[in-house]
Amino acid sequence: MHLNKGHENKEVYIHVSNLVKKFGNFNAVDRISFSVFKGEIFGLLGPNGAGKTTTIRMLCGLLSKTDGDIKINGSSVRSEKALTNLIGLCPQENIHWDKLTCIEQLQFMGSMYNLKEDNLSDRSNELLQLLGLADKKNVLASKLSGGMKRRLNLALALVHDPSVVVLDEPEAGLDPQSRVLIRNFIKSLAVDKTIILTTHNMDEADRMADRVAIMDHGKILLIDTPENLKKSVGEGDILELRLSRQPTEKEISTIQIPGKSMKIKTDNNILFIRSAGLTDLIPVLTEKISALGIETESITLRGNTLEDVFIQLTGKNLRQ
Amino acid sequence: MKRFWRIVSKSLREQIRNYWIMILGVSMAPFFVAIYFLIIEASKPHYDILILNKDKGAVDFFGPVNYGRILCDSAVHFSMDTMSIPLSIKTANDHQQALDQLRSKQSDALIILPENFSQELIKLRYDLNAPPVKIELVGDLTDMYYMVSAIWAGEIMNAFICESSGRPYPIEVTETSLGISGTMSDFDMVVPGLLILSVIMLMFSATIAFVAEVENKTIIRLKLSKLKTIEFLSGVSVIQILLGVVSILLTLATAILLGFHFAGSIWTVLLVAILTSISIIAFSLILGAATKTVNEILVLGNFPLFLFMFFTGAAFPIEGKPMFFLMGYPVSIQGFMSPTHAISALKKVMILNMEFRDILPEIFAILILTVIYFAIGLFAFGKRHMQLK
Repeated sequence: MHLNKGHENKEVYIHVSNLVKKFGNFNAVDRISFSVFKGEIFGLLGPNGAGKTTTIRMLCGLLSKTDGDIKINGSSVRSEKALTNLIGLCPQENIHWDKLTCIEQLQFMGSMYNLKEDNLSDRSNELLQLLGLADKKNVLASKLSGGMKRRLNLALALVHDPSVVVLDEPEAGLDPQSRVLIRNFIKSLAVDKTIILTTHNMDEADRMADRVAIMDHGKILLIDTPENLKKSVGEGDILELRLSRQPTEKEISTIQIPGKSMKIKTDNNILFIRSAGLTDLIPVLTEKISALGIETESITLRGNTLEDVFIQLTGKNLRQ
Repeated sequence: MKRFWRIVSKSLREQIRNYWIMILGVSMAPFFVAIYFLIIEASKPHYDILILNKDKGAVDFFGPVNYGRILCDSAVHFSMDTMSIPLSIKTANDHQQALDQLRSKQSDALIILPENFSQELIKLRYDLNAPPVKIELVGDLTDMYYMVSAIWAGEIMNAFICESSGRPYPIEVTETSLGISGTMSDFDMVVPGLLILSVIMLMFSATIAFVAEVENKTIIRLKLSKLKTIEFLSGVSVIQILLGVVSILLTLATAILLGFHFAGSIWTVLLVAILTSISIIAFSLILGAATKTVNEILVLGNFPLFLFMFFTGAAFPIEGKPMFFLMGYPVSIQGFMSPTHAISALKKVMILNMEFRDILPEIFAILILTVIYFAIGLFAFGKRHMQLK
């Protein structure tokens, strides 16, 4: 079980152990185990095809597992019908009824979860209000913009007030304004709900998740807080210099500054330099590069990202 | 030219990779040839004629004689001697019983020999000015089997009387129609079929209503809510049944406004049409289970559509001979399609002026098929679209 330091006293709400999903001979999810605490935002980060969506589909009971166990609040998924009320899924695609208005969709889905008639209207209006769709309550879903549809998608996952909300790529395809709204809304949900989100966007995982599990090829590579994960890559910042050509190994050794601990890597004409106090060193470094007859086309100074963690773990970036 | 070949190669690749649609497309015509053979050729049409002999006999120069009885015997032997002719002739003892056999399709035509048949035949032999012998033929004048049987009946009687009297064309046939079959216009005859056709067409809208949730993936939300398959399917079905009722009422109203007239009770007609629409919607579940998109429905749906249209009698009259009789009710290959029974019931009510109790076998057949369709559809739809993968 992956439990990090400092979490021992928290209440485990979701517990996944040795979960396996095979499609023929292909292991989409390969014996993964993790725990999610009550009220936590837990991120599954990985490239497309890493097994994130398959994992959450099993978690919701939409996909049967080949092996392993999923427990939510102590009960195995699919073993009790009552579990359906515990989970709300916001799928990657916008899934709604084009010819129903926003309020009709929410009231319909609420009734599918046996919500009482008098609560149904209040709950639906409340969700529309919280997600900035109150003025669109009587508008057909087909007439909504992409961002609004995404918000409606989220509202539909929450209509029965589940204690676990599973969000599959919640910010995918959103404009910046909607992204901020959704992000703040998800954070506000984490007060009394447990949230699992999948993403291949490191920024999204970094900003939103309390803990992140990095997945690749159906396996979990590492689980920790974004801060700890980023620290695991190394101290200091990263300077990215886009050059006119790729420097040779010999040329790279001349760039090193004596007395400074620097890690230098190159990839596709980009020079990555990791070190502390890089801001002061930029003029010296560009001068050294210029002396090699290489032109510096752009300079970016940044801190560690989860992508760096992923690259360190897998040797490839998230988009590959 | 290069671009042309690129298009050819791309289209070929797409077709091959879309092999399911391709197989359906090319197999449709052979499928119907096979079905046609099974229904029409393999069941071998057979014509059943009844003779009711009312002849009281007469005294000829050699003594008393009953030419009616002689005709019956020779006619029965005619059908036995000529096995290659798909005809069987039986004698009837009772008028009402004979009419019931006609109505229940156990016979196709009834020949009634009059009481003075022997007297008339003797007159014909000795008196050159004697009128032809009058024979009555009874049947459903709109029925194809009656038409063929009537020709055979005329031939047999003509041959017998001609030989007995030595006169050419010695008979005068009067036809008595069952119900209103003798006074029906072409329009009146096609309306029952069109009524059922309007019900058959519901198959597409009903299947689309079921499969739309799958195609739009909204079924995921419904599955997550753990809605039961039966709740979902019956909920969607109710609206489709209502649409079916509206369609039936509109079809009937249009036909009546345009001069359609029929015998029997309109309520019985409506009951049959509504039960058939429920049965077609139940069938749509099977089609829905086999498809995932509207495009697939349009390709695959053509198979049952053509079967229902052309092999149940909805689009044009077609009848396969019964494989067997179940408690007096004929069961043919087409009997596995509910519209066959609906057409049969509507013909009985609207053409033959029969009562509700006369169509009870058809009603039971439609109900049984509906239950079978629904059970298969419910199981298959649930398995394909509502279960965990």
